[in-house]
Amino acid sequence: MTRPMPITSTPELGSPAASATGVVKLYGSGETAVRALDHVSVELMRGEFTAIMGPSGSGKSTLMHCLAGLDTVTSGSVRIGDVELSGLSDKQMTALRRDRIGFVFQSYNLVPTLTAIENITLPIDIAGRKPDRLWLDTVVMTLGLRDRLSHRPSELSGGQQQRVAVARALAGQPEIVFGDEPTGNLDSRSSGEVLGMLRHSVDELAQTVVIVTHDPRAAAYADRVLFLADGRIVDELRSPTADTVLDYMKNLESV
Amino acid sequence: MTSTLRPAQVPVRLPRAQGNPLVRVGFRNLRAHKVRLLLTVISVLLGTAFVAGSFVFTDTLKHSFNAIFATGLKGIDTRIEPQHDYDPGVPANLAATIRKLPGVAKVSPQISRPAVVVDSHGKRLQTGGAPSEAGGWTPASESVTPPATFAAGTAPTTPNEVVINQGAANKAHLKVGDHLHIVLANAGTVDVRLAGIYRTASDTGGYVGVRFTQQEAKRLLTDGTHVSLIDVAAAPGVSEQTLTARIKQVVPPDLKVRTGTQARDDATHGIASALSFVNYILLAFGIIGLIVGTFIIFNTFSMLIAQRLRELALLRAVGADRKQIRRSVLLEAGMVGLIGSVLGLAGGVGLAYGLRALLDALDLGLPSGALVITTRTVLVTVLLGLAATLLAAYAPARRAAQTPPVAAMRAEFASTSAASLRRRSLIGLVVGALALVATIAGLNSSSAGSGASLAGLGLVGMVASAMLLSPVLARLLIVPLGRLIGRPFGAAGRLSRTNAVRHPRRTAATAFALTLGLVLVSGIAVIGSSMKASINAVFDNNVTAYYILSSQTAVSVPEPAVLAAERVPGVGSMTQLYGLSATVDGQHRVGMAVDGPLTSVMKLTGTKGAVAPTGHTMIVSKTRSEKPGWGLGSKHVLTAPGVRPITETVGGVFDNNQLLDGWLVSGQVYRQLTQPTDRYVIVGLVKAAPGANLAALRTGLENATNDFYVVDVQDRDQYEGQIAGQVNGLLGLLYGLLALAIVIAILGIVNTLALSVVERRREIGMLRAVGMQRRQVRRTIYLESLLIAVFGAVLGLVLGLAYGSLFTHTLRDQGLNRLSIPWGQALTFLVVAGVVGVLAALWPGIRAARTSPLQAISDL
Repeated sequence: MTRPMPITSTPELGSPAASATGVVKLYGSGETAVRALDHVSVELMRGEFTAIMGPSGSGKSTLMHCLAGLDTVTSGSVRIGDVELSGLSDKQMTALRRDRIGFVFQSYNLVPTLTAIENITLPIDIAGRKPDRLWLDTVVMTLGLRDRLSHRPSELSGGQQQRVAVARALAGQPEIVFGDEPTGNLDSRSSGEVLGMLRHSVDELAQTVVIVTHDPRAAAYADRVLFLADGRIVDELRSPTADTVLDYMKNLESV
Repeated sequence: MTSTLRPAQVPVRLPRAQGNPLVRVGFRNLRAHKVRLLLTVISVLLGTAFVAGSFVFTDTLKHSFNAIFATGLKGIDTRIEPQHDYDPGVPANLAATIRKLPGVAKVSPQISRPAVVVDSHGKRLQTGGAPSEAGGWTPASESVTPPATFAAGTAPTTPNEVVINQGAANKAHLKVGDHLHIVLANAGTVDVRLAGIYRTASDTGGYVGVRFTQQEAKRLLTDGTHVSLIDVAAAPGVSEQTLTARIKQVVPPDLKVRTGTQARDDATHGIASALSFVNYILLAFGIIGLIVGTFIIFNTFSMLIAQRLRELALLRAVGADRKQIRRSVLLEAGMVGLIGSVLGLAGGVGLAYGLRALLDALDLGLPSGALVITTRTVLVTVLLGLAATLLAAYAPARRAAQTPPVAAMRAEFASTSAASLRRRSLIGLVVGALALVATIAGLNSSSAGSGASLAGLGLVGMVASAMLLSPVLARLLIVPLGRLIGRPFGAAGRLSRTNAVRHPRRTAATAFALTLGLVLVSGIAVIGSSMKASINAVFDNNVTAYYILSSQTAVSVPEPAVLAAERVPGVGSMTQLYGLSATVDGQHRVGMAVDGPLTSVMKLTGTKGAVAPTGHTMIVSKTRSEKPGWGLGSKHVLTAPGVRPITETVGGVFDNNQLLDGWLVSGQVYRQLTQPTDRYVIVGLVKAAPGANLAALRTGLENATNDFYVVDVQDRDQYEGQIAGQVNGLLGLLYGLLALAIVIAILGIVNTLALSVVERRREIGMLRAVGMQRRQVRRTIYLESLLIAVFGAVLGLVLGLAYGSLFTHTLRDQGLNRLSIPWGQALTFLVVAGVVGVLAALWPGIRAARTSPLQAISDL
C-alpha cells in the first residue's frame, strides 16, 4: 500500500464489507444454460477501493449485481457486512439496498423531474428519514455541487450529473458504494473528476467503493483490481497503475 | 475474441422480398405491442359500438314495424282519418255514403279510445309505453284487414263481453271467462267478462287492446256520431289510387284521406320518429365516445413513437424517407382503427340487442324480429372509426417522420418534453375569449331559444379552450394539489406530483375523458336539480289544495271519479282542471278550463279583474294579455266541430303560472265545446272543509275513487315527489353518460400509465435499486393517476356546474326559475373520479412494481 491508510472510526477496518463465497450464476437452463459466474469467492475489504475488470462477457457486471443485491445467485453465498443475502425477501433486500448500499450507474440515472438536491436525498426520502445535514454538507462540498443544487439534471453537464449521482450514493452513508462503469459515458476530464471524488471518499470519508470498469485508467484509481474471465477470478493486482493494468489486460485477452 | 469470421457454410436465407419493408415494420409493431394496442382498440370500439348500435336499433325497428304494418294493415286501400288529434273524429254516417260508391268492396269503421284494463284481482295491466286502448270488434266478414283469429273463446256477443289480444292475456294470465274492469275517461269503470283472446299482427310487446261489440263500443267510446277512422277495401280490379280519388270527392275536406300504402308508410314513419330519441341518445354517446377515444389514440401513438424514437431514427439512417415513416405509422393506426371498428360493429349489434331486450322488459311495445344490419351501418361505422383513428394518429405520425437520423446515435433517458406550449395556450385563450363572448351574448339574449344555443356554442368553445389550455392548467392545478395530497406520502408523493406534470400534454389528453364526461354529467345535474327545485317551488308557492287527484295511466282522471270524490264528507271544495283544445278566432289553440273555485286551491298573483273564469268570461295570463287584441275586455270566438260558436270576454289577467295555460274558460263553456268522450280532467284539486279530519278525508277520497283504479290520491308533497320522479328518469341518462365517460377514462388512464411505466422503466429500476419498496412504487403510480383524474374532474366540474347554471338561467322563462346546484352530487362525482383514477392505476402500478432493479442498467 503506497497510499496512506484512511482515517476512520470504524473498528472493523480490514474486515470484509461484502463477500462472495462459491458464487455460481446460471442464465437459462438445461443445455443452453450460460454460466456467468463459476464458483467465485472474493472478499471486499472495508475502506478499500476495488475495481473489477475483465473482457466483455467475463461476468464482471454480474458479479457486481450479485454482490449489490440487485440480482440473485444460483448457488453460493453473498454477504453485505454480516447479512447473508440469500433468503432475504424482496422487501428486506430492497431495504438493505436502501440503507446500506449506494449505487452509481453508467448513465447517471437521475430523475429528470427532480432537482439535484432532491435527487441526492432521494434514497433518504424514500426511507422516510431526515438527512444528516452535516454529512450532506460534507458530501455536497466535497463533490463541488453547492451551486448546482437547485438545477434539474437537464441543466447539468454529464460530469456534473455523475457527481450528483455519486452524491446520491454517498448521502445515505452506505457501508459500500457500487459503481457500474461510472465513467463509461464521460470524457477523460470528467472521468478523472468523478474517480478522484470516489478516491477521496475512500481516503477521507472512509467509504468502501467497488466499481466495474474496462478502462485501465479508471482502475488505476483503485487499491486493488480483480480480473475476471469466463466467470472466474483469474488474478488480482494491488496498487495498480494504468500501465500495469493495461499490460495485464492485453495478456488476458491474448490467452 | 476466440471466434473468427468464417464464410457461411449454409447459404444465408434472405427474407422473402415481398411487400414493403416499412409495412412489415408496421405489422411487427402491432404484434409487439399487443396489450397497449388492445386498449387503443377498445377505445375505438366503444365509440363505434354506440354509433353502430344506434343504426342497428333504428333499422331493426323500422324493419319490424314495416313488417307489422304490412300484414296488420294489409287490405286497406283507403283510410279516412281526422286531420288532427283534437278533431272529434270521422262522421259515422260517412260509412254509408262510401259504401254506395262504385268499386268499394268493404267499409270498416274503427273505434279506439284510451282505456285501462284491470283484472279480477284489481291489478292494472301495465303497458309501459305501448298503447292501451279499447275499441269495437270487427267480425271477419266485415274486416278490411286480414281478420284476427282466436287463440281461445269467441267474439263478443253481449254488451258486457270483450275480447283481448293474446300478448296482454298471456302477460296478465287472463283466461276466457275472467271478469275484467275497463276504465274509461268519460264513463268510469265498466265491468265485463272476457269472451275471447285474439291474435293480431300488431300485438307488439306490452300492447293492450280490448274490443267490445260494435254497438257497445259506439255507445261507450264515441259521441254517437263519430268514429275514429274508416278503412275501405276496393273491389277487385279497382286500384287504391282510383278508389281513394273517388272517396275524396264525397268526404269533407277537413278529413285526411290516404291510400293504404301511404297509411302503412306513415304508420311506420310515425313510430320510427317517436323512437328517434333513442337513436339520438345512442348517437350522442357514440360521438362523445369517439371524441374521447381520439384523445386516447393520440396519446397512445405519441407515446409509442416517443419510445421508438431510436428505431425510427435507425430506419431513417438506413434510408427510409419521411413519407415512408409517416405511412408506416398511419398504417399501424389504420389497422387499429379497422380492428376497433369491426369489433365496434359487433359490439353495436350486441348493444342494439341488449337495448331492445331492455325496452321490451319495460313494455315499450317493441316488436321482435331479426336484427337488421345494413351496408350503410357497416360502412359508416368502419369509416368513422378509421377516420377518428387516422386523425388522432396524424400528428404523432408527422412527428415520427421528423425524427432526424442522428437521433439513432443518442441514447436518451426518457425526459420531459421541452416543446413549447405557448402557441397552443395562445389559441386556447383566444378560443376561450370568443366562447366567453358567445356565452355573455347568450345570457343577455331575450329569447330562450337563441340564448340557449349561444350559451351552447359558448360551452363548446369553452371545452375546446379548456382542452387547449389544459397542459398549462395541469401544471397550475396539479402542483398545489399534489403537494396537498402527496404530503403524507413523502418521496412517493413528490415523485407522483412531478410525474403527473412531466408531460403536460399527455396528462391533459388523459384527463380530458373525465373532463368531458363531467362537463356533461354535472351540467345535466344542475339542470335536473334546478328543474326539481323549480317544480317544488311552483307547488309550494301556488297550490293550496290539500289533496290532488291525478292519473298516471293511459286514461285521464274519469269524470265520475271526480264526482264521487266531491261527495266525500270533509271535502270543502273540488276544483277540476280540464285540458281544452278549441279553435279560437279561427286558430287552433290549447288552453284550460276550470270547474269549481280556483282561488281556494291555487294562489294567483298579480290579478286584475276577475280571478276565475265564470260563464262566458275567461281569464288569461299576463303574457297572453300582452299579445295584440288580448287585453282586458277583448272578445274572442271559440268554436269546435259541430258546436255553435261561443263568444268569450277576457275578464281577468293573472301573472304567468307554471300550472296554468295561457287562457282559462269556465267548466260550462268547456262542456259545450267538448264531447263527453273527449273530456280530459288533468287534476282534481281538493280543499278540506274547515275542521275536517285530514286522515279521514284522505281515506274517504281513496275509497270513493277506488273503483276507478286509475286515480291516485296524493298530498302536495307526494305529487311533487311523483313529478320529481319523472325528472329523475331524465337524470338516469346522466348516469349512463357518467358510466360511459368513466369506462373510457379508465381505458385512457390505464393506457397512458402503462405506457409511462414502460417508458420510465430504467428510472423505476433505479428507484428500486436505490431502495424504493414495491409498495412505494405502486403508491407513486396510484397517486399520479389520482392527481390526473382529480385534475380532469375538477376542470369538468367547474365547466359543467358553470354552464349548467347558465343554461338554467337562459331557460328561466321556460319554468326553470330556481337555480339549484347539487353540491353533494358534485362532490360525489369528484370522489368517483378519484376512485376511478386509483382503480385505473392498479394494473400499471403492479406492473411498475415488478420492474427489476437491473432495468436501471439495461441499455434500452
